[in-house]
Amino acid sequence: MLRRHLLALAAGLAVAVASQGADAAGKIKIGFLPGVVDPFYQVMQLGVEKAAGELGIEVVTQIPPTWGVAVQTPLLNAMVARGDLNYIITAPTDKEQMVPTLQAALDAGIKVITVDTFLGDGDYAAGPVKFPISYIGSDNTEGGRISARGLAKAIGGKGIVYLMSTNPNVSSVEGREKGFKEVMAKEFPDIKVIGPEYDLDDPAKATQMTAAILQQHPDLAGVFGTNVFSAQGAGAAVVNAGLGGKVQIVAYDATKAAIESLNKGDVSLVLAQKPFDMGYLAVEFAAADAAGVTSLPKRVQTGFAIIDKSNVKDPAYSRFIYQVPGK
Amino acid sequence: MKEPILSVRNLTKRFGGLTAVNNVSWDVYPGEVVGLLGDNGAGKSTLIKCISGVYHAEEGEILFRGKTVTFPRPIDARRQGIETIYQDLALANNLDVGANIFLGREVKKRYLGGLIKTLDDAHMLEESRKTLESLHIQFPTFTQPIENLSGGQRQAVAIARAVYWDAKVMIMDEPTNNLGVPEQKKVLELIRRLRDSGVPVILITHILPDVFAVTDRVTVMRRGRTVAEKVTTETNTEELVQYMVGARDDTRPVGQALQREVPLPH
Amino acid sequence: MADTAKANLEVAGSSGKTSRSRELVYRLSRLWAWFFLGVMVLFFVVAVPIYNGGSVNFLTVRNSQNILVAITPVLLLGLGQTFVIITAGIDLSVGWVMSLASVLSALAIRESFNAGAPLFLSVIAGFLAGALGAGAIGFANGTIIAKLKVPAFIVTLGSSFIVRGLSLLWSENTTVIGLPAGIRAYGNESLFYLIRGEGGGFYFFAPPAVTGDMLRRMDRILPYPVVITAVAVAIAIFLLRRTQFGRHTYAIGGNVEAARRAGIPVDWRIIQIYTLSAATAGIGGFISTLQYTAGSAVIGDPLLLASIAGVIIGGVSLAGGAGTVVGTIIGSLIIAVLTTGLVELNVDAFWQFIVVGAVVIIAVLIDQSRDIIVGRVREGS
Repeated sequence: MLRRHLLALAAGLAVAVASQGADAAGKIKIGFLPGVVDPFYQVMQLGVEKAAGELGIEVVTQIPPTWGVAVQTPLLNAMVARGDLNYIITAPTDKEQMVPTLQAALDAGIKVITVDTFLGDGDYAAGPVKFPISYIGSDNTEGGRISARGLAKAIGGKGIVYLMSTNPNVSSVEGREKGFKEVMAKEFPDIKVIGPEYDLDDPAKATQMTAAILQQHPDLAGVFGTNVFSAQGAGAAVVNAGLGGKVQIVAYDATKAAIESLNKGDVSLVLAQKPFDMGYLAVEFAAADAAGVTSLPKRVQTGFAIIDKSNVKDPAYSRFIYQVPGK
Repeated sequence: MKEPILSVRNLTKRFGGLTAVNNVSWDVYPGEVVGLLGDNGAGKSTLIKCISGVYHAEEGEILFRGKTVTFPRPIDARRQGIETIYQDLALANNLDVGANIFLGREVKKRYLGGLIKTLDDAHMLEESRKTLESLHIQFPTFTQPIENLSGGQRQAVAIARAVYWDAKVMIMDEPTNNLGVPEQKKVLELIRRLRDSGVPVILITHILPDVFAVTDRVTVMRRGRTVAEKVTTETNTEELVQYMVGARDDTRPVGQALQREVPLPH
Repeated sequence: MADTAKANLEVAGSSGKTSRSRELVYRLSRLWAWFFLGVMVLFFVVAVPIYNGGSVNFLTVRNSQNILVAITPVLLLGLGQTFVIITAGIDLSVGWVMSLASVLSALAIRESFNAGAPLFLSVIAGFLAGALGAGAIGFANGTIIAKLKVPAFIVTLGSSFIVRGLSLLWSENTTVIGLPAGIRAYGNESLFYLIRGEGGGFYFFAPPAVTGDMLRRMDRILPYPVVITAVAVAIAIFLLRRTQFGRHTYAIGGNVEAARRAGIPVDWRIIQIYTLSAATAGIGGFISTLQYTAGSAVIGDPLLLASIAGVIIGGVSLAGGAGTVVGTIIGSLIIAVLTTGLVELNVDAFWQFIVVGAVVIIAVLIDQSRDIIVGRVREGS
């Protein structure tokens, strides 16, 4: 249902853009600076490129090789220094630390749209940070809640579970942690949550840390990996310990690896976000803003597809698996 | 008879079960070059290191200019004027001549009432130049790292360093090793010049031609003991070799020289 | 033996000509990094406008300032590292020390401000917390290396883990936020401002209150982080070239045994050098807290290897005894210019790693072959 609303929004935007004159939209240049190299953002890039292609907009893309403010900032500064960008679509790697640099981009005349993660508290209408045009991303808190209920069901409502996250102060995973712990505390008092612990978005570290937890708690019932690399790494540790299928895993982000694990029975639930939609919409928003549209919503929630063994083969769900053609 | 400038009395140095220097008594007089001769393992280097403060002898004493002295660290020996030039020269090849001569004793200029101290490179360069000139040594350049210089030139820098710091006794440990023949000659000339300027030189060597080229007296060591003291002009190669290999020994009654040496139990 | 002729010890065994050409090659090999930087800048100046159809230029005021800001952390880490590597040591803890300093600075700024201190004083408190806290780690590193004779590689690797744990502990596993709003100015404003074009001008210290198009044309010249780094660099150059401390640093790297025998307090110098290395990393952490208005326990992790690469490219030999701060600046510049240029050519960011890696290998090869070029054996090899 959400998807239908999004489609309608996009159609409306396209009409608005077209009616203001295609020329106005065609002349803008957009910079795309996601968080890190991973399938989630690669699919987002597909969405960005599709919209840009349709609208005749040039996009300059830089994907940071590792996650971090120290890596994303110089790339952002270099993009701003080009002097030819009108908009930057970015997933800020820290909701506080990226504010000065993005503010400077705005001062230089570049408008900002955030995808997947937000600045400040995400409320660009009334919150502490108001300058980005919009925040387009999943309702990560709700995603965390869904994951919690899914994991609780898979482990039978009680036991010890491990919350494996990436980096502190990143709005996306923070929301998922919050939603997860909230539901566990309120609805499943017999489940004890260890964590969140941070693997700094490195699958190898995630594997290490999960393996350590498995040693410490041989009766561990479940793991929630809050993003691509966390789920991947945690899953690997569980399988390496020979506990595939016995320790239940809920994975956020539907990478091919996660789906493979789902098929093998090592993962019981996969939450697919809709990065393609995020990227696509962000470009549409930029075009609309350039064409003079002032009523763009400051918050757009893209939805989820909740994939488990029962629907993984259903094309209505499998289309949300993060696949990049040729990879 | 002149007073010795440096003496050791009954010096003994052990390393665990090995007695490297065995009850050695020895004198060095001003204005002479005395050779310390012996094969490898004779104890020459160890004796010298006891004198220069690198090692501490278990027994015996060292007298310098008539007074008993102890050197807890090498720098204490150097402060008294006992300068040692080791086989490896102890120079920093990445630094220039001035930096090496003043290594560890750099001269500083003070600014802001002593708050900021910078190196007085000009002064150090000038002093280095003067010292090398006084030794009749010419270098092509003073500001390049000394790794660009030849072995003999670096030897000269090491000697110049000792001379600058007012050496009263110069100890040289096998200085002509690793040098070509022309450079060996020049180093020996430097030694003579040192002696003539009043600095006695202890020359450790196992090269007999060097002994005859430059020393006034020669002491032979074997297995930690001094076995002979000769005036150079009164001896010859064959004799010295006999002392070195143990066929002759002035400290033992005739006939006992060929016996195996046993470390004195203590 | 009455030979009183002058003992003229000249360069043995080689004619004047060959030694001069060797000298020249030697000097060129020391300057290759400058040469490479120049070529690279030239390449980008030409290529960037061509690729972008004239809409983007490389040598702009903003770009040059960006590059200066970009080298700030890498250069600060590299400053102390220069001293360490000249003594043939290595400091692998600087990345995490920078993170710890970032956390300590942020905590100090926040707590002192909340306790009522004026903003300027709380910034000073942040600086002291970062620099001194980091220095303490360096002091511990240096002491273990000098007194317990444990190799620097192992000590600094081990301490980096401890420091990492402390950073995460004291930051309570999250970014340290809640700093006073005025901090942003310290980290992002600059000494001068230039407004290009119409109605423009050159301003000192305070940005003019402009908006819209004029704001867009305003460039910040010499942001405060760059100024602080410049001061640190000047002090480092002075220390290394003009003081006894610097001379001893070179001596220890050239021949540590000779240094000891010459009476140089080698152990104490080593302790000082590792303390300095950590302190410069601490200043880097303090600056990053100002720039990002928050303390981050993970900020330094990706920067360690880049800082070592900058030092090596700049000509500091891993074997010790050679190198300068200016060389490290050139090496860090090469990395920053590369990153900026590649973005403007719309080349994937990971190519910078490949190029930097290649340049580091070239630097090491040139360093090793320098001895062969000049035809001598290194001390102690």
